[in-house]
Amino acid sequence: MITLINIPPRVPLLALLAAVALTIFMSPTARSATQEELETKLNALAAEVTQLQAELAELKAQRNQSTSATAPGNPVSTVAEEPEAKLDWFGYGELNYSRPSDNRAATVADTGRFVLGASYRFDDRTRFVSELELEHAVSSAEDPGEVEIEQAYIERRLGDRIFAKVGLFLIPIGMLNEAHEPTRYYGVFRNFIDTAIIPTTWREGGLVIQGNTDAGLRWDVGISTGFNLSKWDATSADSLAEPLGAIHQELALAAAGDLAQFLALNYTGIPGLRLGASVFTGDSAQGQPGFDNNRITLWEGHARWNPGDWDLSAIYARGQISNTRPINLTLAGNPALIPESFFGWYVEAAYRATLANEWTLAPFLRYELFNMASSYASLGPGITPDPLEDEKVLTAGINVEIARGVVLKLDYLNFQRDNDRDRFDLGLGYQF
Amino acid sequence: MSRVDPLWASVAVVTATALPAQVVIAAAYLSTEGAQRALFPDAQSFEVLTLAPNTSQQQSILAAAGKQAPHGELRAWTARRGDSVVGYVFVDEVLGRQDFITYAVGIGVDGKLKPVEILEYRESHGGEIRNKRWLAQFAGRSTQGELRFRTDIKNIAGATLSSEHVTAGVRRILALWEAVVKPQATGR
Repeated sequence: MITLINIPPRVPLLALLAAVALTIFMSPTARSATQEELETKLNALAAEVTQLQAELAELKAQRNQSTSATAPGNPVSTVAEEPEAKLDWFGYGELNYSRPSDNRAATVADTGRFVLGASYRFDDRTRFVSELELEHAVSSAEDPGEVEIEQAYIERRLGDRIFAKVGLFLIPIGMLNEAHEPTRYYGVFRNFIDTAIIPTTWREGGLVIQGNTDAGLRWDVGISTGFNLSKWDATSADSLAEPLGAIHQELALAAAGDLAQFLALNYTGIPGLRLGASVFTGDSAQGQPGFDNNRITLWEGHARWNPGDWDLSAIYARGQISNTRPINLTLAGNPALIPESFFGWYVEAAYRATLANEWTLAPFLRYELFNMASSYASLGPGITPDPLEDEKVLTAGINVEIARGVVLKLDYLNFQRDNDRDRFDLGLGYQF
Repeated sequence: MSRVDPLWASVAVVTATALPAQVVIAAAYLSTEGAQRALFPDAQSFEVLTLAPNTSQQQSILAAAGKQAPHGELRAWTARRGDSVVGYVFVDEVLGRQDFITYAVGIGVDGKLKPVEILEYRESHGGEIRNKRWLAQFAGRSTQGELRFRTDIKNIAGATLSSEHVTAGVRRILALWEAVVKPQATGR
C-alpha cells in the first residue's frame, strides 16, 4: 500500500485570510474611518498580503521538498494525477443495420443499445458499479424499446486477491457475458451461443466471491436468483429461439423461492491463453403452482488463444431442464413445448492487423452449431415433439477499430438449414 | 430451497476451503519494501531517486513509450550494495479499467528488466494480471523493441486493458530510465 503524499493543509491560510478580512471589515472603527485611516488599513492589508504570499511560497517549497524527498513525482508532465473523483462515468453502445439476403421487407436499422454506467468509490475497498441500458432507442407502451438496469452491485475487496460482489451482477459464464461491449467481440451482433444458449447479457441478484491466484486461476463462486419456468410461453415459437432468454428474470420482481448456485473457473496461467469452464444450476419451479423440481443446469467450457496477432476462440455450452414431462403434458398441442436439452458451440478465428495509422483491421471467420431443442422428455408416442435439427451458421466479417473504443463492423451470415435467414450486417460500436 | 442440493454443498465446501487459503495469501502480498527486496535481493539499501526530466527528455520519453493510460504516482529508488549500484526500482500506478494498479519494475545496471511485481490491484475486473508467468515475460528485456504488446508481451485474454496498460507503463519506465537515469549513472 503506497502512502500518498500529504498536501499541506490550506486551512491555516484560509483562516488567516478570513481573520484579516474580519479585522478590517468588522472593526467598528472601519465604519467611521477617515481617508487617512483607510490608507493605514490598506497598507496594513498590503503588508498582510505580502506576508501571506511569503507563507504560501514557503508552504509550496516545503511541499516540493517533501515530494522530492519521498517521491520523484511524475516524470512525464502529461500524465494524470491520482484521480480525486470518486464517481466515474462510462458507456458503450451500438447502432446496426441488418439486411436479409432474400427479404428486403425485413431489413432493419436500429439503435441496438445505448448504455451509460456509473461507478462510485466509497473507499479504497468498496465500490458501486452500475449500468443503465436503453435498447432500441425509444421505450414506451407503443415503442419496441426496453430500459434495463443491467448491473447494480457493491463490490468489496476482502483481501489482496479476493473480492465479493453483492447485488445485481453479471454471471461469470462463457467469454462474452462479462465482456459484452461491442468493441470486445467480432461481428455486428453477438454470436448465437452467447445469446441463445447463454442468455447474454445475463445477470442475477445475489452474492459472488471472486479470487485470483498467482498461478493464473480465477475462481468465482456464488448464490443468486435463477430462472422461472412458469414464464415459458408455449404459444409462441419464439420461446424456442432463446430457451433461457424466455424464462430469465433480470431481477425484476423475480420469483425467488428457489435460488441458484454457480461456479466458474478460468485459467490464464499461460500468457495468451485462457481456458475456462462454468456451471450454473438451480430449480426454476420457484414454488409456482404446477411446477416442481424443474432444475435448470447450464454448463460450458471455453478456450481463447492469442498467438501473436491471431485471436482464436471456441466454446461449448449445454443447458438442461429437468422434469418437463408433467408441464409439457398440459401444454401438448402448442407450438413451443419446453425442451429437455439444448446446446451449441462455435469456433472462431480472427487476425488483428494494426495499420500505420493505428487502425486495427480484424477479419474473422466463425462457425457455429446450435440446437435449441435437441431433446424433449418423452410424453408418449405421437405426442412427444421431434427434436429440432442442428442449425449451422458460418459468419465472415471484419471489425475495423478506427480509434481505441470505436469499431466499425461488417459481416455476412450463412445459415445452413434455414437459409432464409442469411443476412448482411453493418454496425458501429463504441465504448468509453 | 426445498431439497438438499448437491451444488449447495459443493459451493459451501469450495467457499470454506478457498477463503482461508486466499486470506493467507492475501496477508503475504508485497509492500513497496517487499517489492524492492524481491527485485534486488542482493541490495543492502534503497536510496530515493529524484527524477526531474527536462522538456526534451520528457518528449523523448513520450515518443519512446507510446500511448499511455492515465498514471498515478511514480517513485524510484537506487538499489545499492555497499558503494556500488545494483539497479533501480520504480513503483508506478497505472489505470486498469477504473482504478489504479500499483506495480513495481526493476532495472538492473545492465539495463535489463526484472519480472514485474504487482503490489496492489483494486478492482475485481482484470485481476488476472497477477499471474506470475505473465509478469515474468518482462524479465531480461532491455529495449522498447522487445516490449511490443501482443507480439513480445502476450495479451491476457479477457484482461486486455489491464495487461496492455501495464505493458505501456513498463515501456514508459524503461524510456525514463534510458532518458534520465542511464545518462546520470554513466556520467558519474
